[in-house]
Amino acid sequence: MSDDHHHDTSLSGPAARVKALEELLTEKGLVDPARLDQIIETYQHAVGPHAGARVVAKAWCDAAFRRRLFADAVSACAEMGIAGPEGGHLVAVENTARIHNLVVCTLCSCYPWPVLGLPPAWYKSFAYRSRAVSDPRGVMREFGLIIPGEVEVRVWDSSAEQRYIVIPQRPAGSEALSEADLAELVTRDSMIGVAKIAAPVGARRKSR
Amino acid sequence: MNDRGLESLLAGIAPEGGEIFSAPWEARAFAIALGLSEAGVFSWDEFRARLIEEIGAADRVRERDGTSSHGEYYQHFLRAIERTAADKGIASAAEVALRLSALEGSGR
Repeated sequence: MSDDHHHDTSLSGPAARVKALEELLTEKGLVDPARLDQIIETYQHAVGPHAGARVVAKAWCDAAFRRRLFADAVSACAEMGIAGPEGGHLVAVENTARIHNLVVCTLCSCYPWPVLGLPPAWYKSFAYRSRAVSDPRGVMREFGLIIPGEVEVRVWDSSAEQRYIVIPQRPAGSEALSEADLAELVTRDSMIGVAKIAAPVGARRKSR
Repeated sequence: MNDRGLESLLAGIAPEGGEIFSAPWEARAFAIALGLSEAGVFSWDEFRARLIEEIGAADRVRERDGTSSHGEYYQHFLRAIERTAADKGIASAAEVALRLSALEGSGR
C-alpha cells in the first residue's frame, strides 16, 4: 500500500483522483465520457439479478433447459440473450434437499455480472471473504439462514476462470405460478446462497 | 468468529436492488476501468491482478491490526486503476499528481 491514504472529503481524496484520471485519459482519447455515462447507466439499471432470476425460473419450469444449464451455463444463458463482460466461465450449481451451495470470491470480487449485476458491498467485504470458506454456516446464520446439520454445504470460491450462480430450491406452494411470476420470487441473495426463497404468499406472488 | 466480523458483515448488507455504488466517484472509477478494458488499453484480467494485490495488502493489514472497514473496496479499485495505468504508460503517477494539483488550484 502506498503513502496516499487520504480520506474522502479532501480535494486529493478519491473523487478528485478519479476526476484527474478521467480528464487525462479523455484528453489522450483513451476514454470517452459519454461511454462512461453509458456504462454507469447500464450497471446501475439494466444489468442486475433480474436476469439471473429469469434463468432460475426457466430452470424450474423447463427440464430440457435445466439440463443444458447445468451442462453449459454460458450457452444456456446466451440462449436467453444473457451475456456480457464477466459472463464467461459461468457454472450453475443446484441447491437440493441434501446440498446447499454458497458462493464467495476470497481474493477480490469475481461475480457473474450478466446474471447478477455488480456484487453488493457485503460480498466484497473482508468479513464475508475471510469467513465464507472457514465458517460458511456461521456466515449464513448472520444472514438469518440456518442450514440443518444433515445438509452438506458446498462453498465455491470464484475466480477469473470460474463464476457461479446458485439455482435455489423452488419454494413449496409455487406450483401454480407461471415462469414470469416465479422469476419475481427469486432474490439476488438466493442466487449467491445466503438466502432461501420464501414460499409465495397465498400461492400468489407478493407485489412489490 | 467475532463481533467485528458480524458487525461489518451486517453493515454491508444492502437491501435487494440496493445501490451498487455508495458515491458517484465509485461509479466513475468502475466505468473508467471497464472503459479502458473495452478500448483494449488493458485486459480486465490484468486489472484484476492489480486489484487482488491491493485488496490482499489491505487484508493483511486488517489481519495484523484487527481493524475493520468494509467501505474501502473502491479505494483499492482506484489504486488498481492508477497502478495499471502507470504500468501501461498511459497516465504516470506524476501526470496524475500534476492534474490533481491543477484541479485543486482551480477549485474545481
